[in-house]
Amino acid sequence: MYFRRSIVLLLAILLRCYQVNAQNNNQPPSLLGQKSILLNVGTQGVGAEFAYGVLPNLALRGGLNFIPFKAHNVFKISGFNSTSNLSADFYNVHALADYVPVKTASWFRLVGGFAYFFKAKGDIRVIPSDDYKYGDLVLTEDQIGYVDLNVNWKGLAPYLGVAFANTFPRNKFNVSFDLGTYYLNKPKADITGTGLLEGNSSQTPQFQSNIKDYRWLPIVQINFSYKL
Amino acid sequence: MDTLRKTRWLLVMLTLAACKKPTENIKIVIDTDVIKYTALINVTDGQNGSPAPAATTIAITGTAANDIFELSGKKDIKLSSGIVTIGLRPTVAPTTNQPITVTAEINAPGYNRETRQVTFRAETKQQVINIQLTKTGSTAPPVVTPPPPVFNNVSLTFTGRCPNRTDLEIRPSVYVYFKKSDSNAAFQYLGYMDKGNISTNLLEQGGTYDFQIVYGAETYKVSQKIDQTSYNLTLDMPAACNF
Repeated sequence: MYFRRSIVLLLAILLRCYQVNAQNNNQPPSLLGQKSILLNVGTQGVGAEFAYGVLPNLALRGGLNFIPFKAHNVFKISGFNSTSNLSADFYNVHALADYVPVKTASWFRLVGGFAYFFKAKGDIRVIPSDDYKYGDLVLTEDQIGYVDLNVNWKGLAPYLGVAFANTFPRNKFNVSFDLGTYYLNKPKADITGTGLLEGNSSQTPQFQSNIKDYRWLPIVQINFSYKL
Repeated sequence: MDTLRKTRWLLVMLTLAACKKPTENIKIVIDTDVIKYTALINVTDGQNGSPAPAATTIAITGTAANDIFELSGKKDIKLSSGIVTIGLRPTVAPTTNQPITVTAEINAPGYNRETRQVTFRAETKQQVINIQLTKTGSTAPPVVTPPPPVFNNVSLTFTGRCPNRTDLEIRPSVYVYFKKSDSNAAFQYLGYMDKGNISTNLLEQGGTYDFQIVYGAETYKVSQKIDQTSYNLTLDMPAACNF
């Protein structure tokens, strides 16, 4: 329900932006020399950017984003009663180019660029949740141990996407949207275990194989701009 | 976790856009080395070296008997193929100055009762106790099994399979016996397999061998022809799959 309301709100804002642009678009604005700062929130977390128009139809954006994330019990291994603690950290600095392909539709932009993810990892700790017995012996948590699944995408990632609404506010503020995706580095995955689960490191090659195509990081982002 | 966080999680991780489930075909690997101080007791018929009769019983007595468990963690200690591995409760350990001693008493119909002290010492985590039964009234001396010949090293990695739990895999730590498949001789001691791994120089290249372990009062066997220097062998070990 919440998600549906968010989508409706997003579409309403988009429509409003388009209407405002249409009203003001008697003469398409040049991006050259314009500056703004942006705060954003989306699937790559929260971040900030500085945008500068380098050509009449091209602006550059540079900034950083981060998303520290923790959750419990979002991960299950079939047939194995367990709890899981997940942490995901994606920190990047990025440089993007916003190109307005159609002068009369400056609210639509093609966006390309790169990000360097200096932190891009997901860690899951799986802890058996049952009171495990070994024969007639009841095992302690330390004896049973836990399994850690770690994935790391650290490195350079290209970005391609589109953006809606003007890069630079006509007045002081505006709201714009980014839709796109990063193509992340090939992930390095490993499994480690402790206690009776120590032998699970042998499952690393299978895990690496399963995770190797997890490279697309989609971006859905809302930007709040302030014109300098 | 609220809806927003769930949505964000789904967008960030699930839409990292891949096809395969991250845990597809991943098994949970479980070690069996819960009991650290162990002693394998191998009871044979002293006249021919074959395993003790099926009706042979073993009783553990002594002040520390309450801390003795079968290798699979069971309190009930039984022989299988004349073999059982006993060990100390994981929370109990001998010290240099205070070894822990119990007595193993073996009874078999038609044979003399045998008792043997089993001492767990801090510096010895594994040991083999051979007990040869003598028939009542017999004066024949027990057979002496010659030591097996020595060859080049071969590495064996054993994996325990759970017939009813394909998501589990066992990494056994257990004593291994062996014999040539085409031989009628009794199984001989090969060594201790630590977390599934054992290296031995008792296997001849070109020979086919039966390997035997006893775990949870069950005997498990697997055969392999040896013509390489390393092998991965799989044993069905249902007694180790009760997790």
